[in-house]
Amino acid sequence: MSDSASKLLVVNDLTTTFATLGGPLTAVGNVSFDLSKNETLGIVGESGSGKTVLSRTIMGLQPRRNVTVSGSVLLNGQEIVGASEKAKRKLWGTEVAMVFQDPMTSLNPVMRVGKQIDETLRVRLGMSRADARARAIELLELVGIPSPERRYDAFPGALSGGMRQRVVIATALACSPKLLLADEPTTGLDVTIQAQILNLLDELKERLHMSVILVTHDLGVVATRTSKIVVMYAGRIVEMGSTREVFTNHRMPYTRALLDSSPKITNPSHTRLTTIPGRPPNLLNLTNGCSFAPRCAYATDRCRKERPELTPAGEPGHLFACWNPLMSNREVGVS
Amino acid sequence: MSENYGEIVIAEYGHPQVEKPEGREPLGVLFWICVGWIGLNLIGAIFANVLPLENPLYENFTAINAAPSLHHLFGTDEIGRDIFSRVVYGSRISISAGVGSMVIGFGIGAPLGMLTAYRRGHFDTIITTVMYTLLAFPAIVATIAVLSFWVPRDLFKIIVVIGIASIPIIYRIIRAATLSVASRDFIIAAKVQGASDRRILFKELLPNVAPILVSFLIIGIATVVTLEGALAFLGLSVNPPTPSWGNMINEARSVMAQNPWLVIFPSLALCLFLLCLNFIGDRLRTHFDVAEVKI
Repeated sequence: MSDSASKLLVVNDLTTTFATLGGPLTAVGNVSFDLSKNETLGIVGESGSGKTVLSRTIMGLQPRRNVTVSGSVLLNGQEIVGASEKAKRKLWGTEVAMVFQDPMTSLNPVMRVGKQIDETLRVRLGMSRADARARAIELLELVGIPSPERRYDAFPGALSGGMRQRVVIATALACSPKLLLADEPTTGLDVTIQAQILNLLDELKERLHMSVILVTHDLGVVATRTSKIVVMYAGRIVEMGSTREVFTNHRMPYTRALLDSSPKITNPSHTRLTTIPGRPPNLLNLTNGCSFAPRCAYATDRCRKERPELTPAGEPGHLFACWNPLMSNREVGVS
Repeated sequence: MSENYGEIVIAEYGHPQVEKPEGREPLGVLFWICVGWIGLNLIGAIFANVLPLENPLYENFTAINAAPSLHHLFGTDEIGRDIFSRVVYGSRISISAGVGSMVIGFGIGAPLGMLTAYRRGHFDTIITTVMYTLLAFPAIVATIAVLSFWVPRDLFKIIVVIGIASIPIIYRIIRAATLSVASRDFIIAAKVQGASDRRILFKELLPNVAPILVSFLIIGIATVVTLEGALAFLGLSVNPPTPSWGNMINEARSVMAQNPWLVIFPSLALCLFLLCLNFIGDRLRTHFDVAEVKI
């Protein structure tokens, strides 16, 4: 972490608060992490844990009203929090791009798919019509779309979900962004297509030397494709570290619970999935304590009264927020 | 690159959805007949004074209340004016009232509706409140009131009054249509690709709102043509002897027993025009809807 020059993205103490009728709602609270070049970070959490708000805040995409953002998001040395629309527009596309969750709604239904890509090229990079078309076809080919020349003239309605998500990715890649934010890019797709899209993202990351942030609720998605994982709960980071470390030496009970609730191939068939009792807390009336305490099997009085801060675990970069951490596998001698 | 995805290529090609035929179902013969009729009406209205028509104001006392004949296609009225010529000249007033007021209504209402739906915020709140307040006010009564006192009446004043009265309704429809599009991800996607607001409004939002805009514009014109007829019936349209479909029907009322042709022909013209216009508007709307549903 010493050489900040190699860091593409540095998020520091980021807080996003919405003013709602029920009072201020902190959707993202005191989040700090960083991301190196050509690295993939996974952000994991349940629905409502603030993943999407976090990724939109990193993009600098907020509603015009009723929202306050504090802290800092440094993208390649440029501050995004508080930047003007005009300044952000310069970063969008070329520095950071986004792949959306639902490919059914993230393409304009009345515009040919090729046009949606080369619009960007012509506006942002000032390419000529012919150059932009050639480049758009190249991009369609890059994301694995068969006979791209023909697909260029297709309307989104004529493409399947997987193909559309490929087009969305091609659009995001048009101006060669340095950071690609993928907000649940495979939720709307079939399982077989999910793997294809994730592999594609992985491969493109290597080829184009991008950094990728993969937002998901599915630990299986991030397991093999990320180098770092951030686990979020109720808008806060509860554990973060290298993927290996989080999977094998997690200390926070919530991480354990999340891992336990995904099916394993080694389980005998008809094994019931473990679920986490209770529901995510209402962000409007959070207690002062750990927000996971009401659902946690290890919770003590201290957990309910005092919020644990992120503390370093064994491996550098591995942090967790828990008063009663699980035993590290290293300590118990398993591995 | 593509060889890595060999199996996907096969899988995707095998998918029945991929090879959907381009283009939509045809609009149908009836649609084109309607377009032809409207076209004919427009040509008549635009070129009325170039076409070989009798002067609609010329009173031919040798042929009073004549039945339709080769000489007077639709017959003549009680002071010997040629009804065919008056119907064609009358379409001028009726159609210009329809088109003109919709140009004003859509010219102001549509951009405003799109802009507020896209920008939201205080601007939206203020404009929408004003528009809804105006909507609560009965537009017909307001139109009649203004036209009763704003004399002398002429076509221009009628167009302006109806045009302004139509703004809130048009605003509401276009705003609602835009809202449903503006919240979709592809608008945000365009934004984070660095597209400017103007670009998003014209390139992303407008094409999606256009089908609704066009079909509503057509139905709007039909509505105003009817409204002009109703106003004329109340004696609030252009002053006689200038013919409009509405005031021809109004004038003919008193001599209906002696000469029913006087009522029949302008009514028929009005009726067919509206029927065709409504049919076109409706057909276009469903035609564009098909593509929307599949997406």
